[in-house]
Amino acid sequence: MSKKQSWCLLQDTPLSIEEALAFLQTPAAGGIDLFVGTTRQWTRGEETLRLEYEAYEPMALKEMERLAEAACARWPVERVCLLHRLGVVPISEASVLIGVATPHRADAFAACRFLIDQLKLTVPIWKREVYADGRTEWVQGGVSNSSE
Amino acid sequence: MNCQVDVLFFSLLRDLVGEERVALRFASPISGAELLDRLEVAYPRMAAYRPVTRLAVNLEYVDLDTLLSDGDEVALITPVSGG
Repeated sequence: MSKKQSWCLLQDTPLSIEEALAFLQTPAAGGIDLFVGTTRQWTRGEETLRLEYEAYEPMALKEMERLAEAACARWPVERVCLLHRLGVVPISEASVLIGVATPHRADAFAACRFLIDQLKLTVPIWKREVYADGRTEWVQGGVSNSSE
Repeated sequence: MNCQVDVLFFSLLRDLVGEERVALRFASPISGAELLDRLEVAYPRMAAYRPVTRLAVNLEYVDLDTLLSDGDEVALITPVSGG
């Protein structure tokens, strides 16, 4: 596997789509796929006020880097980024940015899908729903391949 | 031989245990599964999450039959929900 450029980051402040895009742009790429996961207000009739994320940070970063390497081994990735926000993420704001740049678009879509699906299964990050009625609840994901 | 490990809790297990980190000492090396057995004696409500809890030792997922070594950092990982 040739050395590819990857960027993995956890941060408490808002994620910048512009920065991610600037990192991903390269003359070798003909397609960039950027997935933006955002805080959804309504889930099954329940209103969410905000999400709160926490991570086992050193392991989360290591797992994110491992996933980036796996994507580079499987697709002709020129650039890849996995950026995750921690702490409070208000409605509509981004909690995660996954970006992949490849020579052709099909690989970018496939690698990006792989990365967000795997992130939700293996990277030790957890979110807590804070509902409008005052309840809070840790979300337990990671047990299926559902596309929530 | 004494064996001391640091056990890390996150998310709902941290809320349940009331601690982020607990140092445990054993007279002889134990497996991950035995560690969970002992934690469940101290924190009986943890047993409900046993079927979905994975272990990470020094930042890597491991099988439950892995033997823990002195100085290991052991994290209990319930189903993750990033993204």
